[in-house]
Amino acid sequence: MTGPLVPFREIVLKVHSRCDLACDHCYIYEHADQSWRTRPRTISDEAISWTALRLAEHAKAHALPSVSVILHGGEPLLAGPARLRRVCEELTRALDGVAALDLRIHTNGLQLSPRYLDLFEEFGVRVGISLDGDRAANDRHRRFADGRSSHSQVLKAVALLRQDRYRPLDLGLLCTVDAANDPVAVYDALAALDPPRIDFLLPHATWDEPPPRPGGSPTEYADWLLTVFDRWDAQGRPMPVRLFESVLSTLSGGPSLTESLGLAPTDLVVVETDGALEQVDSLKSAYEGAAATGFDVFSHSFDEVAAHPGVRTRQLGLAGVSETCRECPVVRSCGGGLYTHRYRSEPAEAGTGAPGGFDNTSVYCADLEALIRGIESRTAAASVSPALADTGELMVAQEELTRSLLAGLHAELGGRGGAEWQEAWELAGAVEQHSDGLDEVLAHPYTRTWLIDAMAALREARPGALDTALRLRSYVAAAVVRGRLDLPVRVGLTDGVLHLPTLGTLRTGTGGEAEVRAVEQGFLVRTPTAELLVGHPGGTTPYWRPVRHLRRDGVPVLALDDLDPYRDCFGTPVHPGLGDEAAAGWSDRLAAAWRLLGDTVPEQTAEAGRTLSTLTPLLTADTPARAPGHHGHGALGVPLEGGAEELAPALLRGLRRARLRALTEVTDLYALDGEWLRPAPWQEEPVPLSALLAGAYERVGLAAYDPRHRDQARRALDTLQDAAELTVGGKSLLAVLREEADRG
Amino acid sequence: MTYQTSVTFATAKKNRTPLAEIDVRDAGVAKKLGRVLPMPTDRTARVSSFNSAL
Repeated sequence: MTGPLVPFREIVLKVHSRCDLACDHCYIYEHADQSWRTRPRTISDEAISWTALRLAEHAKAHALPSVSVILHGGEPLLAGPARLRRVCEELTRALDGVAALDLRIHTNGLQLSPRYLDLFEEFGVRVGISLDGDRAANDRHRRFADGRSSHSQVLKAVALLRQDRYRPLDLGLLCTVDAANDPVAVYDALAALDPPRIDFLLPHATWDEPPPRPGGSPTEYADWLLTVFDRWDAQGRPMPVRLFESVLSTLSGGPSLTESLGLAPTDLVVVETDGALEQVDSLKSAYEGAAATGFDVFSHSFDEVAAHPGVRTRQLGLAGVSETCRECPVVRSCGGGLYTHRYRSEPAEAGTGAPGGFDNTSVYCADLEALIRGIESRTAAASVSPALADTGELMVAQEELTRSLLAGLHAELGGRGGAEWQEAWELAGAVEQHSDGLDEVLAHPYTRTWLIDAMAALREARPGALDTALRLRSYVAAAVVRGRLDLPVRVGLTDGVLHLPTLGTLRTGTGGEAEVRAVEQGFLVRTPTAELLVGHPGGTTPYWRPVRHLRRDGVPVLALDDLDPYRDCFGTPVHPGLGDEAAAGWSDRLAAAWRLLGDTVPEQTAEAGRTLSTLTPLLTADTPARAPGHHGHGALGVPLEGGAEELAPALLRGLRRARLRALTEVTDLYALDGEWLRPAPWQEEPVPLSALLAGAYERVGLAAYDPRHRDQARRALDTLQDAAELTVGGKSLLAVLREEADRG
Repeated sequence: MTYQTSVTFATAKKNRTPLAEIDVRDAGVAKKLGRVLPMPTDRTARVSSFNSAL
């Protein structure tokens, strides 16, 4: 097993090993492992002290910002207030100054009283309670040993926890599913208690001991949960439901939120009342000793447990699930299900290929797939970013991204920019309020390039990083000029040059600072030695070079930007600056290429006309596909050389790449890129999904111009069809690509 | 006389947060930035994922 050690961030501390209920579905007492019988009832002082020490040492060694400790049992409240106080005190003391401590307790609630809650309030211990729903549902399993119901006592505990004073400690309700219960009655009973969170657990089961299916359906648990989902959704999702939120998160490319789903590596360890360090305790459902590691807090560090093969197996992500799961389109959401639920003591009958052990699908496999697909089909339309289908929305999302980057740069500086930055930052806010000038400058694709470079420079503590950030002043100056606002802006002069993004470059011949001010005729730049007037529309003068524009019939007006200092972001050299003759010739060839595209791929050309703003001349025709994050949407690097026949496909290819890149910058189209390699019809070596999607996207567009691309485009789309990496957004894009490919 | 621009911003400006009020610690904004910026090592607190507790 390879890969770095995954530190534990979550410690389950068994403070008491017995329970005052006798739930017949409990994995601690009623399943295969019976080790509770030999454990001390209550955790010892020594085990508490060593646990606190080991945890602090672990958090320090791995620089963990926070750790969670979940007080668990048995029934943890049976440890009593004095013992629990000691646990809280020792952990708080040990973690003080090392890492934030997130203390939680999970209880059946029977013993919960102000005495406990006052203690929990003192130490910030938050409380989760088990409740299986309405009285009928809860009584099905959660009874005392003599058969009495626990329901009314649990409701009292919930009511106590809901009092204003204790409400901040309330974590919510945990419900174990029984398919024989009425899902709506169960959900309604839980929701009526207004918990801050709910989770539904599938009852622990293995292939040896499959879950009961009273209705006989192979997807009975999915059907039950989807009924709850529909109720929850129809009510406006009044509280988070961890199971549902996890599926929704992974469907959109985010992380799983529970160890029972998803491919995230396990980061939790269990400390038993005798100090034994164990793997996740649901393994007790598999076989006697399944959770054991042979380690304990007295003699072993948490790092030693983290390196245990049993723990490492559950940290392998995709490599840790069965072969069947690795090929399954929903594996990114289900992650093969809870590890325990995959267990089978003996190989299945010949021909099924199911081995003994954990290298199997989950005994809930059909349920998990039906649940994930059910949630996806119910929510996909609303989950997909509107930017995928609407160019206007894409432009808005792109602009919001650039604005967020500017806010991010402000935060990154954290006051280091001094008065100069503060003045420019406040001016930016004012300009944004009173004109579109700042929006126009922020929409300029190379503004994004500057922002990303400035952020990187600060984070890497590069020399000159502050000066890079302070270029904001020239962006604000350009915005003031564009907005024709009567606001003087102080700017820095770099080697006697002032570049005003989107406008042009001024040669002042002096260094230091200048003041830029919009005036009736254009704008005025006051340097220490001169006052320079640049008039509208700003023709070339000995000191001013404006950004040229492509102005030809039938072609959108586009900036031909060979001036911006951040335009060199295409992975291939940019032209240092065109003369008038070269610019005119390039414009003619670009216009001819654009008209050619308009004749052959009118829809794509019209679409490009709405988004493209800037063309920058490149020295070579070799333009590699680039990852997101180099420039904002709307820029293309185009070779200077070549006639319309060469430039037209180059433009189209660039436009397709730019569009996909712009989408990936504002929404998640796939996750776990690179976990799988898939065949690409245009090369021998298999590629990660991102490359396959990019190639398909490009070729579907090019196929409309040159049918020779059609076959490869279709084959790539076929390969993408059931790819597990695709999010709901990625699948939506794939459907759009299919339609486009079918139209030809 | 106007400067060349092909974009109008009226729709975008209607409901957006003013620049100075954008909170980069907000999870949504952080996610947005994470798509284009290499993010520093994850220092955020994680939610509890233990199945048998909240």
